[in-house]
Amino acid sequence: MRLFKSFALLSTFATYFLIFTGGLVRVSGAGLGCPDWPKCFGRWIPPVSLKQLPTEFDPATFNFTLAWIEYINRLIGVLVGLLILGTAILALIYFRKNARILVASLAAALLVAFQGWQGSQVVASELEPFIVSIHTITAFVIISLLIYIVQQVHLIENPTVLINARYPRGSAVLVGLLWLFTIVQVLFGARVRSAIEVEEINYPLYTAREWLVRIGSVDDIHMVLGIFLTVAAAVTGLYIIKKSKTTPSALIQAVWSMLFILCVQIVFGFVLMFAGLPSLMRLFHLWVASLLIGILLFMFTVIKSGEETAYAK
Amino acid sequence: MRNDPFFPKGLLWGILAAMILAAGAAIVIKQAQKSRENLPVLATVPEFELLKSDSSTFNSSDMRGKIFVLDFIFTSCPGACPVMSAKMSALYQYYAHSDKVQFISISVDPERDTPEVLREYAKKQGVTDDRWIFLHGPVEEVKRISEKGFYLAAENLPGGHSTKFVLIDENGQIRAYYDALNDSIMSLLKTQLTALARKLI
Repeated sequence: MRLFKSFALLSTFATYFLIFTGGLVRVSGAGLGCPDWPKCFGRWIPPVSLKQLPTEFDPATFNFTLAWIEYINRLIGVLVGLLILGTAILALIYFRKNARILVASLAAALLVAFQGWQGSQVVASELEPFIVSIHTITAFVIISLLIYIVQQVHLIENPTVLINARYPRGSAVLVGLLWLFTIVQVLFGARVRSAIEVEEINYPLYTAREWLVRIGSVDDIHMVLGIFLTVAAAVTGLYIIKKSKTTPSALIQAVWSMLFILCVQIVFGFVLMFAGLPSLMRLFHLWVASLLIGILLFMFTVIKSGEETAYAK
Repeated sequence: MRNDPFFPKGLLWGILAAMILAAGAAIVIKQAQKSRENLPVLATVPEFELLKSDSSTFNSSDMRGKIFVLDFIFTSCPGACPVMSAKMSALYQYYAHSDKVQFISISVDPERDTPEVLREYAKKQGVTDDRWIFLHGPVEEVKRISEKGFYLAAENLPGGHSTKFVLIDENGQIRAYYDALNDSIMSLLKTQLTALARKLI
C-alpha cells in the first residue's frame, strides 16, 4: 500500500509539473519545435547541430532552443505516463476489491495514453487552439483522478482522521458546486485563450490591447465570473470553517489556499489585461487554475468522506 | 486542533516552489524568444534608385523604418514567378492590418514590364495600396542590384533570376533569405518577419 501511495503521490506532483511545462511550451511558442511526432526531426534525440539534421528536413526550419523545449516536455510526458501506468498496475495488485481506487487508477492510465495520442494531434493540427484546449482539459481530468486516488488511499491508511469532524449540512454539495463553477470558469479561460491565439495568428502585428478588443466580451465574462467565484468561495469556505466542529487542519489550510489562489488569479487576470498579456503570466494563470481545481476536489472529498463517516455512525 | 489559518505552512512552500518555477520559466521564455529573433545581419541593402509603376522614383533609403520582403520577378514569366507572386500576395494579405511590413518586387524584364503592365500585374495580385510596390529600371542596374547588392543570381535575365525572398529589417539590413517555392520555409518567414516587426509596435 505504501508503494502504491508513493506512486500515486509522485504521479500527482509529476502531472502538475507536466501541466506547467506543457503551458511553458505553449507560451514560449515551442509547440512546433519538433515538426514530427513521436520523433523530433526524424530522431529519437533531437539534433544538437545542423550536422545531425536528417537531409529530408530543411535546415532553416531547425531551431535548437525550440526543439529541445518541446522534446524535454515530451520526455517529462513519457515519465508521467510511466508513473501513472505503474500506479494503475499497483492498483490492480493491491486494490482489486476497491472499486473507487481501481476505476480511478485505470481511468487515469487510459486518459494518459489518450493524452499521448492527443499530443500527436496537437502537432499534426499545427497547434489548432481547440485541440490544444482539449489537451489541457484532459490534463485537468487526469490530475483530478490522481488527487482522488491519493486521498482515498490516505483515508484507508488513516480511518480515524475524519471521524470526529462534523460539517454543516450540504457542505459537500456547496464545495461540489464551487468545483463545477471553477471548471466552467476554466473553460471560459480556455475560450479566451483560444480566441486570443486565433487573433495572434490572424493579426500578428496588432497589440495585445487590440487583440482583446477584437475577441469581444468573452474576457469580460471571464473576469466577472472570476470575481463572482472568489466571493462565492470566500462565503462558502468561511461558512464551513465557522460552522463545522473539529475541522481537520488540512481542510482549513485548503480553504485559505483556495482563497489565496483566487485572489492571486484576479491579480494575474488584471495584469494580463493591462500589461499586454505577458507570457509568464499566461502560463501561471492557467497553471494556478489547475492547482485550484485540485484543492477544491481535495476539499470535496474530505467533507464527503467526513459526512459518510458521520452517517455510518 | 487547528493550525494558524492565516499562515498555513503548505502555502509558504507553495509560494517558494512557484517562485522557483517562475524564474525557470522566465529564462526558458526569454531564450525561446531570443532564438526566434536571432537572425544574423547578412549585409546592408545596396544603394539604388528605381522607378515605381506610377513612374515616381524609389530610393533604397526609403526602406528605413519598416520591414521589407523583396523579390525579383517578371510578369510574363511562365514558371516560378506566378508561384512567387502568389506567395507574396498571401503575405501582403496576411499583414494587411499593419503598415510596418512592406513588399517590393523588382522586375528583371524592364523592356516588357512597362509601368502599365506592372500596374495591371499588381491589380491581378490584389494590390490595393502602397504596401506592395513594383519597381523597374535599366536591366544592367537590376542585374547589379541583384548580384552585387542582394547576392542573388541574375544570369541570362529575365529567365535566370533568383526565386528567393529577401527579409530586410527596419535599418535596411538583410537578415535572411527564403526559398519562395518551399511551403515550410514560408511559415518560417512569417514567424521571423513577425518577430522583427513586433519590435516596431
